[in-house]
Amino acid sequence: MQDTTFEELADLALNQTGQAFERSKTYLMEARLSSICRRESFSGLDDLAHCLKARPNPRFEQEVAAALTGKATRFFRDRATFEQVATRALPARLKQSTNGRLRIWCAGVATGQEAWSLAIRLSELTDQPVGKAQIEIMATEISTPALQTGQSGTYGHYAVQTGLSIDRLMTHFERQDTGDWTLKEDIRDAVTFKRHNLLESATGLGQFDVILCRNVLSKMAPVRAKQAVENITAQLLPGGFIFLGSDENIAGLQTSLKPSRDMRNAWVPIDRDETAEEAA
Amino acid sequence: MKHCLIVDDSRVVRTVAGRIVQDLNFEVSEAGDGAAALQMCREKMPDAILLDWNMPVMNGLDFLRALRREHNGKHPVVVFCTNENDKEHIGEAMRSGANEYIMKPFDADIVYSKFVETGLV
Repeated sequence: MQDTTFEELADLALNQTGQAFERSKTYLMEARLSSICRRESFSGLDDLAHCLKARPNPRFEQEVAAALTGKATRFFRDRATFEQVATRALPARLKQSTNGRLRIWCAGVATGQEAWSLAIRLSELTDQPVGKAQIEIMATEISTPALQTGQSGTYGHYAVQTGLSIDRLMTHFERQDTGDWTLKEDIRDAVTFKRHNLLESATGLGQFDVILCRNVLSKMAPVRAKQAVENITAQLLPGGFIFLGSDENIAGLQTSLKPSRDMRNAWVPIDRDETAEEAA
Repeated sequence: MKHCLIVDDSRVVRTVAGRIVQDLNFEVSEAGDGAAALQMCREKMPDAILLDWNMPVMNGLDFLRALRREHNGKHPVVVFCTNENDKEHIGEAMRSGANEYIMKPFDADIVYSKFVETGLV
């Protein structure tokens, strides 16, 4: 790959999705764009970059940028976070709710396992108030192919065996003749998928009690990550929580969030007084 | 160091699984069928057993049922690791005392995930 090709594709990713690429990660760029190259019969990334310049097409640019984002995910990744959300954050929000309805946004879900994991966990809490609440889970993702996988609720042999116990697989999935596994309807009804770019305003999605945006920001350039954080924070209801990945720390980005006082991986608006909330 | 017994009639599978489990910091021993595995368990009960289903002499399901009747036979975490990957087989294995289930083919991530599920790592 020529240096100019790398720079053009890295700029495209940065501008459209915030994703930052180092020169040492050219292999990742090649891997993530290989299926587009095959489909379009490009000889390689130089050919693809040439096409982007010679025949500008915003939709194709968007597709290429989305394909460059990371999609690594698995069911119940960092399961402690699911427990925090299900047994602490949501019950706390439910107490403050006047209509028994809660909204969760899983932002940047790649192929959707995070949203489904949350739906599965919540379905297991039928003996608790949060299990009886009306909970809407919205999952968003910038990449259309990843979104389609998530929406289908169908996963392959390897995906269902990393993070899911056999009990959960047996309880919540049906095996297809192809060998793939598809989530049962009751879980599939619990999640709505939408295409969304975290660098854009999310006003249209409405407001949420809990937002999960895990392992997304750490792959973004700092200035874009800050922009994404502000867009997400704007959709957080008063008293709500934002959960980031277990190794993601945005303290250096000077955003309007601070770590929650006692909820791991949770962040709250900087002007919020959790101690006073608890006392109340 | 915890001890894992790998029971499979394929030497290749035993070797591959053995390397994966060793990387998870387990001491590994191997058996090529259920009867040999049962004898090894009577001599020294392992902490974990990675168990194939279809084997000569004694299959995995018969081994598991016999194991659970042994003194201290409820101690090992048993993870089936087999080509039998339909719901009926999985259900039968779990009802017979398996703790987890791996559908072949498998890789290190799957073994690790299942060992996490069962509290082995």
